[in-house]
Amino acid sequence: MSDFALSLPVSTAPRPWRFPAWSTALLLPALGLVLWLAAARFGWLAPNMLPAPQDVWLTLQDLASSGELAQHALWSMGRVAQGFTTGAGLGLVLGIGMGLWPRFEALLRPSFLAIVQVPVIGWVPLLMLPLGIGETLEIVIVAKAALVPVTLNTRDAIHALPRPLLEVAATFRYGRLQLLRRVVLPATVPPVFTGVRYGLTSCWKALVAVELLASSEGLGYLLVWGRQMFQMDLVIAGVLLIAAIGLIFDTALAAIERRLQRWRPA
Amino acid sequence: MSAALSARGVVRRFQLDRREVVALAGIDLDVAAGEFIAILGASGCGKSTLLRLFAGLDAPDGGEVMHRGERITGPSLARGIVFQEHRLFPWLTVRQNVAAALLNAPGPASEKALTVQALIHLVGLHGFEEAWPHQLSGGMAQRAAIARGLANRPDVLLLDEPFGALDALTRARLQQELRRIWQRERTTTLLVTHDVDEALLLGQRVVVMTPRPGRIACILVLPPDLPRDHANADFARLRTQVLGILDAADPAQASLRTLIPETAA
Amino acid sequence: MSGSLPSRWLGALPPVALLLAWQGAASIGWGDPRLLPPPGSVLVTAWARLADPGLATALGVSLGRCLAGFALGAALGLGFGLLCGLSGAAARLVGPSFHALKNVAVFAWIPLIALWFGMGEEARLAFIAVAVVTPVALNVWEGIAGTPPLLLEVGAAFRFSSWQRLFRIRLPAALPSILTGLQLGLIHAWLATIGAEYFLAKGTGLGGLLIEGRDRFDMALLILGVVLLGGIGMLLNQALWRLAVRLTPWRTTPA
Repeated sequence: MSDFALSLPVSTAPRPWRFPAWSTALLLPALGLVLWLAAARFGWLAPNMLPAPQDVWLTLQDLASSGELAQHALWSMGRVAQGFTTGAGLGLVLGIGMGLWPRFEALLRPSFLAIVQVPVIGWVPLLMLPLGIGETLEIVIVAKAALVPVTLNTRDAIHALPRPLLEVAATFRYGRLQLLRRVVLPATVPPVFTGVRYGLTSCWKALVAVELLASSEGLGYLLVWGRQMFQMDLVIAGVLLIAAIGLIFDTALAAIERRLQRWRPA
Repeated sequence: MSAALSARGVVRRFQLDRREVVALAGIDLDVAAGEFIAILGASGCGKSTLLRLFAGLDAPDGGEVMHRGERITGPSLARGIVFQEHRLFPWLTVRQNVAAALLNAPGPASEKALTVQALIHLVGLHGFEEAWPHQLSGGMAQRAAIARGLANRPDVLLLDEPFGALDALTRARLQQELRRIWQRERTTTLLVTHDVDEALLLGQRVVVMTPRPGRIACILVLPPDLPRDHANADFARLRTQVLGILDAADPAQASLRTLIPETAA
Repeated sequence: MSGSLPSRWLGALPPVALLLAWQGAASIGWGDPRLLPPPGSVLVTAWARLADPGLATALGVSLGRCLAGFALGAALGLGFGLLCGLSGAAARLVGPSFHALKNVAVFAWIPLIALWFGMGEEARLAFIAVAVVTPVALNVWEGIAGTPPLLLEVGAAFRFSSWQRLFRIRLPAALPSILTGLQLGLIHAWLATIGAEYFLAKGTGLGGLLIEGRDRFDMALLILGVVLLGGIGMLLNQALWRLAVRLTPWRTTPA
């Protein structure tokens, strides 16, 4: 390699002072909020198009104090939890099976691809007839959303097990348990976890879709209700809540993922 | 002899893990027009940094680097460069890659096409004009990179360990080719290498550099009649002598270096 | 059990078993025949439906809508991704907001879009475009920002101008990633089209057909609709994949 080709020079002119990252990041949302406040204050848009931020805030407070917020959020989270554990658990089993036994993969691959190919939006009306509108439908749909990425990532992680490292382990005469603990798990856990993370994110997105289409409670239903009642503040509050929960899921899992992969080069 | 390239009291510092490293601590060097100079040293001695300063890809913190008496402030088509990694554009064929060097050169397109064809012949790649870089072996890719470096008929050719990543056989063959090309074109050439044999095989003068901080330990003027042959007794004696200089300058690594040839890592 | 069966036939086993179970369940009169008609009769109704010109019209409407929304969203995504990839300041300013917004489940936009754009074609196109922007912008951004610095340095050595750097280094280097983004964007556009037809207008396009099938308990229509939905999605994906292979012949293994 070129000796220091890509390292940073010290003595070129001092770096210009720059706003810290969080402040630039918040600049745009702050600007948006100011515009929103102004639009409401000066009546640029009718309140039924865009209610004032304080109205949305009040609605959120109402939802929180009446317990409705917790109730709907619990419904939604409960469905995600059930669907996700079912889907991810099945995905792990299928992925390990497909990764270890080629004939198992050959058996399930076409059916699996067919299932993958049809999106949530197609499954909902199809399954609605045999399953009816209700909890089962929603959990099946959410489970399918988790199943796909977890299965694929688990299978790929097993396929991608570094053979050269297994050979290194063999030369040190590692036992089965040592092999599992020192080589197989460290190599497979991070990619599998990536699948889990995608799985949980898509569970949340699928849940919103299914709650919009076929549900009578949950955060998605809150949107439907608000829309039917022309309560725009409720709709916006609902969207904010859905976004916030999605963001929290993803940020938390991304942090865990980074920890699992910290030995990798950036 | 007028100096084609010169360095005057060149200093370059880098920040590495919050520590300051002096890559070049006062380098003075003159390269005559038409000369072939090899810069030899272990990794970390600043030899590549010096070459990048001459290329205009980096600027010194102190002192100055000059090309024909003019201060170097940025890259120039008058100075061709070949890197250790071939750095061919993967989305261009061999012909297009060589032609990419001529993008900002004056002259009609037809003339450029002829130049490109001639260069491809010069480096022995005829028949592979339309190949993608990923279809080439390491040696062939490096030949294409050399053709690209020569495309503007540069006044100076800068080679940054161009054969460092190649296998020994290919390296030996390309060294002979480079010598042949230089003998034909007489382009001023600066070759950075960590391979003692390569330096002695190709250079007229060998600049030996030592690390921490990077400076020139000595400059060897090779006898013009030195047989460029590994097996020759004079050649072998010179090699021992150079290794001795390198070891004396860095006793910590002395014994290791003679045992284990430095790799590209 | 089937030690000598070649693996490519192995994959046919589960669907065949499912079909047999379905036929079996139907013939012993398990379940409501309205909800689960025998596979044979589904096939017959589906075939009849396939010949119906109304189906072709519905498909045409959906595809046209999908492509129009895709074009809109892809143009926005390309512009946004280029901006963020090329300008560090833009990336710092809008990047975090973009990453936060991309986490909003795409269907959650529907009520807002319905209120702002009404229930007409504009609303549908706006929704499809929103679904397309994210993957396109993200991949363009990453592709442009991830241009190997070693290659940019070659450009510097040959004194490339900023335009030459953009068109001869950054864009070609990012092209595989850009194409991946467009491929993802097209799939999203197709799904969003169906979604828009569910939520934002009754009775048009393939989505309208699915709703109709659900409301009429027409299992044959539903199955046909779902097969078409998946099949067309696969074809769109294949088409862009082929295009990507042709546009980037230098790659050994196109993604």
